[in-house]
Amino acid sequence: MNIVACVKQVPDTEALIKVKADGSGIEEGGIKWVMNPYDEYGVEEALKLKEKNGGEVTIVSMGPARAMETIRTALAMGAEKGIHITIDKADEYNTAAALAAAIKGINPDIIFCGQRAIDDDSGQVGSILAELLGLPVVTLVTKLEIADGKAKAVKPIEGAQLLIESQMPCVITAQKGLNEPRYASLPGIMKAKKKPVDVKDAAALGITVQPKAKIVKMTPPPERAPGKIIGGDDPAAKAAELAKLLREEAKVI
Amino acid sequence: MAHGGQVYSVGNEGREIFWNAPFPSEPILFFFAAIALAIFAYGFYRRWQMWKAMGRPENRTDNSGERIKSILLNGLLQVKTFKEAYPGIMHALIFFGFFVLIWGAAFDATHFHLPFLVPFFNGTFYLWFSFLMEVFGLAVLAGVVLAVWRKYIQKPDRLSYRGKMDAVADDAIVLLLLAGIIVTGFILEGFRLHVNINVDGYTWGGWSFVGYAFAKTLAGVGYDTVKILHKWTWWIHAFIAFGFIAYIPFSKLRHIVLAPANQYMRSLKPTGYLEPIPDFENAESFGVGRLEDFTWKQIFNADACLRCGRCQDGCPAYLSGKPLSPKKLHQDIKEYWLKRVPVVMAAKSAAKEGEEVVIPEPDKTMVGEVIDLHELWACTNCMYCMEVCPVFNEHVPMITGMRQYKVLMEADFSPELQLTYRNMENNSNPWGIGTHLRADWAKDLGIKSLAEDPNVEYLFYVGCSGSFDDRGKKVSIAFARLLKEAGVSFGILGGEEGCCGDSAMRGGNEYLSQTLAQMNIEVMNGYGVKKIICTCPHGYNMIKKDYPHFGGNFEVYHHTEIIADLIAQGKIALKKPVEGIFTYHDSCFLGRYNNIYEQPRKALKAVPGMKLAEMDRNHTKSFCCGAGGGRMWMEEDIGERINDMRTDQAIAVKADTIAVGCPFCLTMMSDGIKDRQKEETMAAFDVAEIVWNAMGIEEAVTAEAPQEEAGKTKEEGSPA
Repeated sequence: MNIVACVKQVPDTEALIKVKADGSGIEEGGIKWVMNPYDEYGVEEALKLKEKNGGEVTIVSMGPARAMETIRTALAMGAEKGIHITIDKADEYNTAAALAAAIKGINPDIIFCGQRAIDDDSGQVGSILAELLGLPVVTLVTKLEIADGKAKAVKPIEGAQLLIESQMPCVITAQKGLNEPRYASLPGIMKAKKKPVDVKDAAALGITVQPKAKIVKMTPPPERAPGKIIGGDDPAAKAAELAKLLREEAKVI
Repeated sequence: MAHGGQVYSVGNEGREIFWNAPFPSEPILFFFAAIALAIFAYGFYRRWQMWKAMGRPENRTDNSGERIKSILLNGLLQVKTFKEAYPGIMHALIFFGFFVLIWGAAFDATHFHLPFLVPFFNGTFYLWFSFLMEVFGLAVLAGVVLAVWRKYIQKPDRLSYRGKMDAVADDAIVLLLLAGIIVTGFILEGFRLHVNINVDGYTWGGWSFVGYAFAKTLAGVGYDTVKILHKWTWWIHAFIAFGFIAYIPFSKLRHIVLAPANQYMRSLKPTGYLEPIPDFENAESFGVGRLEDFTWKQIFNADACLRCGRCQDGCPAYLSGKPLSPKKLHQDIKEYWLKRVPVVMAAKSAAKEGEEVVIPEPDKTMVGEVIDLHELWACTNCMYCMEVCPVFNEHVPMITGMRQYKVLMEADFSPELQLTYRNMENNSNPWGIGTHLRADWAKDLGIKSLAEDPNVEYLFYVGCSGSFDDRGKKVSIAFARLLKEAGVSFGILGGEEGCCGDSAMRGGNEYLSQTLAQMNIEVMNGYGVKKIICTCPHGYNMIKKDYPHFGGNFEVYHHTEIIADLIAQGKIALKKPVEGIFTYHDSCFLGRYNNIYEQPRKALKAVPGMKLAEMDRNHTKSFCCGAGGGRMWMEEDIGERINDMRTDQAIAVKADTIAVGCPFCLTMMSDGIKDRQKEETMAAFDVAEIVWNAMGIEEAVTAEAPQEEAGKTKEEGSPA
């Protein structure tokens, strides 16, 4: 099987995020970058499929030079090779277009993306990628089986689960629950350093980035107001005060 | 040749050697003695070849002075065996008894051929010699009786694995041989004395008081009958003794040679020492996956284990019902080795010169089948087994080696630990809390980081618990305030501090551990740090013993050492008295690893009104809290919880406060108190908090922690 897994490098969930003074983005200094956790489920599923059916896994990532670390992380987990698209940043459409251009030549049987990236939370790239490649897409997949040239994917919806059968090739966007991503072995880490990664810029892919959408302004969330401690010794009075505050200030009852 | 040339009389006491054993008894005797010795020698030669056949090289013959000292103390003087009274005395009676008897018997039987010995074996020397041989003979017999009582009546659990007795036949044979030699020896002596005293006029026969007592019971029995009985007993005695010698290499008696050998070849490295993996880039495999990945010494350890079970007696994993027993681990590896080593030896001798040796694959994998994974991961690295092992076996590094294989080679280990390692990789702490929050605890205390002022005497290395765990942070605050009050010059690394790497190292992730160590060392060396204080014994041990491998050479102190010192120097005054009963729980990494037992106790005793009660298991025999060896971060789902067991031990001495010197222990003891629903009446405190409260400077520290984020591992990538 020829398998592709798309990955994005994002700030660690615990990183201290500071918005730039001009609101154009975030301050990148001092941030620990990691593989988008949903993409990790995609990589793990790709590796599992390969281990079961043979074939190879190609990791595709778009991002600045540091994105190479994330590609190596996926290679350490067991993927065979990588493609690094050296476009720092783009809107969802252009990102998908760049990925599509890089993937076209590979003719994969199946493509994995995370259901969304935890930095901008758009959740669009997987679907646009499928559209650009003319492939079906199943989003938010928590269980996947490949049999008789068909992909059988389970996705949870409100109060139920859908079992979707899709023809292949197809795009799968991975949701938490699909699997438990593996911890890279040390020989895997060492070998990953020597695995081939194609570095391609926009020109090499024959594309030009023409933004269709742009971030106008980024603002930090409002600071959370400090909690309030109701003083006093009389429990009844304290309860009455609490009820009053919940109704009048918090407006929740 | 009955060596009967001499005439013995009062003033020239002695006895006729080979009495009643005329020619050719002596040559026949020596002939069989030679056969027994040849079997003995062959047995060990064969064993020697087996020891040589497998295992990686390791030098254990350096520093011979220290090694000879170890063998004299622990072999000849039995120091380590004596650490426990009953088995110590039991073993000493047999050991010293036999040690004397074997030399006595050998000289007795041969001294007529050794002219320089002849002049001694008469008169007073002979009388005392006879007397002492009786005493030591009785000693062996007493030792055997104690052993039989212990093994067959008392049946302590340590001589079994969960009630299944170890090696029934071997143990019984050895005891029968020992008793047989002594009993036939006394009987034979009695027969001889009956004739010697009454016929030959050996009036000094009473010096051999046991044989003499037996001889007296023979009064009236015909001398010819006794001489025939004597002859038979003489041969039986001789053949039991020869059987004993020949049996040594093939039974638990092998320890007569292996125990002193192992005492000689013991590790002279600091406790808990792990050889760092030197080259990750070029190594082909990591850790111990196959038997031959152990060093030869580690395989030798398995052979040297004679199942005394002292390790099992204090092993927190075993006692809490988990499948691990350090004794069983050694015995299982030994059994596996005995099966594998002939295959390896055959393959090696079959291979032609210059050809590669092809060794058939084993039918059982060592890590996973021979050693169950639950066994492997149950170890808390508490070091009890290594502390008490009379032959200095090294269980913990063997376990770490196998863990390294599972983690580094196969990446096959518990999901909780995988998450912990990812958190350490991404945020340099096991909880995965943002690294920028590391120095938040110190915000309002006016403590400078080394970036602000590097000209301080000590670096206070806070560690992950002290930085992120809400309970741990209170300890950091108490200790930092105490230092300030005492006028100690110190600083912290703040956001530049990273995880020490101990949990990664002991959990088999040497790669991660080295990465973390190197990052810390770079920062510390960058500020020219010389002296470091740690509140966590895990960081303390790691920085002290493992950082030097990577260029980090510091003087490292545990905070209880510093506190005890400040009290002794009068730099802090303890005036606010405490009430209730305190007990001190020895952290493994402080006590057994670093021999710090008294400083924390000294600090506690300096508090006015302190009533300190020791738990049954204290000092070198302290019981682990359950959190070492990476266990802090893993689920404990087999058997009883170790921390609850330790809490019960504190409850048993009616303690109101469990004092600790380790943040892991603090968490475990606090949880144990909750599990046992004793929060109303009991609490766990760090020594620093108790001392700070006793300084009476401001509002006391309480044990309540606003439990929110810490104490619970973060779920990575949990979707919003």
